[in-house]
Amino acid sequence: MPDKQSLAQFDRHFLTAKDKLTAIGRGSLGGKAHGLALMRDALERKLAPSFRPAINITIPTLTVITTEFFDLFMKQNDLYGLALSGLRDDLIAGAFQKAELPAQLVGDLRALVLQVHSPLAVRSSSLLEDAMFEPFASVYATKMIPNNQADADIRFRKLMEAIKFVYASTFFKEAKNYILATKNKTADEKMAVIIQEVVGLRHGQRFYPHLSGVARSFNFYPLGHAKPVDGVIDLALGLGKTIVDDGIAWSYSPAYPQANPPYNTLEDLLDQTQNEFWAINMGSPPEFDPIKETEYMAKFRLAEAEEDGVLRFMASTYRSQDDKIVYGISEKGPRVVDFAPILKFDLIPFNKLLKELLKLCQDMLEKMVEVEFAVTLDGDQGISARFGFLQVRPMVVSEEKVDLSLAELAGENVLLGSESALGNGILHSIQDIVFVKPDRFNVHHSEEIASQLERVNHRLVTAGRAYLLIGFGRWGTSDPQAGIPVNFGQISGAKVIVESALPETSSMLSQGSHFFHNITSFRVFYFSVGQGDKYKIDWDWLHRQDVVQETEFIREARLRSPLKIKVDGRTSRGVIIHD
Amino acid sequence: MDKASYNSFAIAQFQFDRTADWLNLDLPTRELLRVPLKEHQFLIPLRLDDGKVKIFRGFRVVHNDARGPAKGGVRFHPQETIDTIRALAMWMTWKCALMDIPLGGSSGGIACDPHDLTLREQEQLCRGWVRQLGGGLGPRVDVPAPDIMTSAQHMLWMLDEYETMRGEKSPGFITGKPVGLGGSLGRMEATGYGLIFALREALKELGIQPGGTTASVQGFGNVGQHAVRLFQQIGGKVTCVSCWDQKEATSYAYQKDSGIDTQALAGITDRFGGIDKEKALKMGYEVLPGEAWLAQDVDILIPAAVENQITDENVKTIRPRVKIIAEGANGPTTLEADRTIAQRGILVIPDILANGGGVTCSYFEQVQSNMNYYWEKDEVLGKLDLKMTSAFSAVLELAKKKKLSLRDAAFSIAVARVVQACRDRGWV
Repeated sequence: MPDKQSLAQFDRHFLTAKDKLTAIGRGSLGGKAHGLALMRDALERKLAPSFRPAINITIPTLTVITTEFFDLFMKQNDLYGLALSGLRDDLIAGAFQKAELPAQLVGDLRALVLQVHSPLAVRSSSLLEDAMFEPFASVYATKMIPNNQADADIRFRKLMEAIKFVYASTFFKEAKNYILATKNKTADEKMAVIIQEVVGLRHGQRFYPHLSGVARSFNFYPLGHAKPVDGVIDLALGLGKTIVDDGIAWSYSPAYPQANPPYNTLEDLLDQTQNEFWAINMGSPPEFDPIKETEYMAKFRLAEAEEDGVLRFMASTYRSQDDKIVYGISEKGPRVVDFAPILKFDLIPFNKLLKELLKLCQDMLEKMVEVEFAVTLDGDQGISARFGFLQVRPMVVSEEKVDLSLAELAGENVLLGSESALGNGILHSIQDIVFVKPDRFNVHHSEEIASQLERVNHRLVTAGRAYLLIGFGRWGTSDPQAGIPVNFGQISGAKVIVESALPETSSMLSQGSHFFHNITSFRVFYFSVGQGDKYKIDWDWLHRQDVVQETEFIREARLRSPLKIKVDGRTSRGVIIHD
Repeated sequence: MDKASYNSFAIAQFQFDRTADWLNLDLPTRELLRVPLKEHQFLIPLRLDDGKVKIFRGFRVVHNDARGPAKGGVRFHPQETIDTIRALAMWMTWKCALMDIPLGGSSGGIACDPHDLTLREQEQLCRGWVRQLGGGLGPRVDVPAPDIMTSAQHMLWMLDEYETMRGEKSPGFITGKPVGLGGSLGRMEATGYGLIFALREALKELGIQPGGTTASVQGFGNVGQHAVRLFQQIGGKVTCVSCWDQKEATSYAYQKDSGIDTQALAGITDRFGGIDKEKALKMGYEVLPGEAWLAQDVDILIPAAVENQITDENVKTIRPRVKIIAEGANGPTTLEADRTIAQRGILVIPDILANGGGVTCSYFEQVQSNMNYYWEKDEVLGKLDLKMTSAFSAVLELAKKKKLSLRDAAFSIAVARVVQACRDRGWV
């Protein structure tokens, strides 16, 4: 494991300081900041020079409020009792807003906002993440603030609110469930906070990067000739929230950057690709709501990016008269965010950079990695770029060799089989099955189902019982019509997740995309069972099992002997076998 | 200079003269700034609860208001003299100028011992003091604040009297009010925290990490307690605090090598900062004579009680380990002692800088009161930190550039700013 890194102390100069990465306090930096500190020198020495001047690679200026201030904040305001009490998230967040930050911290923060008038990202960087050297992706809050108000008092207040919100998110229900699943205690968690310059450009009332991305050095879904070790890149226009939270991205293998993702018809491709993007709202203040993560973020339509002059580097156009995609946006027609000018015409050596970056990160962390980044293209021609390296975290990839033949999938006592299963390994310990009742399921009740699942999950996690979860549609979707809109914390105890196609619809399954980080880090097996798939779920057998508890939409069964669950990561085959 | 012959005003004038020489000020400017602009001395007859009438002497001195409305405390003290008030008013002028807040300097008080007065009697004294001064006070004229042995309650009585006289609400008339009645969050902590902000910058300058440093503090009132608290939070250890024992009419120092427990000690401390000796003994503190606070083997000394405490007689007891003296009190070091300290190479953060947090936050309170809109504590303390840090940096920069002590540099900056305001107004 790489050594602990330290940063220079913040000297009340943010953008103009000699050190672009600094710390306030001498406590822990937390996982996220530690990863950035680790990569700082390597990026500068081994990667950045060979890409200049086409691409300027930097870690955006940041300062880290180390965990000692979190300790002080919690202690001085006597917040632990309330934070660990099981109160609703909004009540916890509200109480944290009323608390005071340590006196020795606020002067530094005020000095910071006096100098900076551009957007800031206030991000979590947790101690357990660091201690375990494992990813806690999207578990804690990140708040973007426009920081463009003329009055320094307002900028200062907004920064305070954002920091307190990130602190409060340590104790939100999703985070508590997540920590429980890691066999740690929330009381042991400590939070450092990263205050970081946002990579992007202002276009009227919007501030956003031209593109954001997540690059992974291991791909659980290699397509065509691509191999798992080639990795995978997800790109989106605007802020990375589109990829991380909405699960929408242009995915490709860095070994084959010109290959499109799979689609049946061009119409499907248009449906699947991005048609909205996230940006920081720089305009008139939205409704005051300091305990909302997206208080200053807004979604905009592609047409607005086109008005901003951004789309020409990012998109192609669908030509309906001959049912074709034509590169660029010179013609009228629906736009497809496929990054063709960059990926297909090598406007900048972007893919080469990502391949080298993944290798470098992998060498530094000595593990498979996941990298987040944001890019702005400068100049009218978009020929030089700023590449902001935002985050690196390790991926957990199982290397156990599992042999799973097609015969096994069709064998005796198979509860279900799948040829698009995620993960790798064999499980013998699961005796609990939680499933959405097929006869009761209806997308109109999907939010209610999510909250019922949360209660079941909490009980099973508290009892230390891992379970198999079976449901319909896209797990974790933000659209209740497309599946069950849970966050991972609500189903954190599931060791195996099955998504079955929605009855009477042809919508695509998520194949784990919404929980990709969680699935990989917790080694959760993820099975997709599509409408036309060869292998089905044996509902009859399931209905015959002993019922432990039942709600309107959920049934919880407990088996006398454990299931045998096998997933072969190389072939994406998986099977669940009962006695 | 012994304690009996100590005259604060003589010291204040000496400091001014030296600075005036250094700044090469002309005679009219010296004459204008060497003495107060306005002085009020008056009598307040008070009918005591037992029916007798007693006459009290009241004071208010405005040293200079070229930079803005005057600002200064109101003290209740049996040995109050006009010279002490004059000195405090002058120091307040320099302090406001040094902190770069748009206020002048004043001070006032009543020669009385509140320990001997009932609350009703104290209330009547407060109201009488305001009535006597009448139009000489006001948010745009001269703004009082608490000082030795006066509290938020006294300020509220004074405010109420003023508002009754004016027939309107005027929360900006006075500062040090309770939170919720026109007071500012952070005001209680301001002087003590401000002192530690300045101390933190001094430690940076000396290349010393606060973690592991030790301090001894004279005074465990509002300033002392908050200074100790924040000092501990930045990693320091306070091994000794001293305070006045009202019952025994002497002072004691409470010492513990492992460091004092501020919260526990505050729990056995009265509202004037007096620690209960018996309880402290039971808590394991070694009880020493009051002056022992100065002779502790520590890195930092913080005099945060009253003036004239480090003198030619006791300065020799300061241990070689001491690197910084941060003056929380006004005028705690005599001129002779100051010279000895300078020769020994100890860095002194002078009173007008070290305890400038109090008046800075008073100014914040006044701003908020005048707007009738109040800030969050984070906001107040964030602003305070920047004011303290920027004042410290300005002083340090001049001291380095001109090879001056921090005290001389602080006075030079402050006096020069006031002189400039007087010149801009065409007074000199």
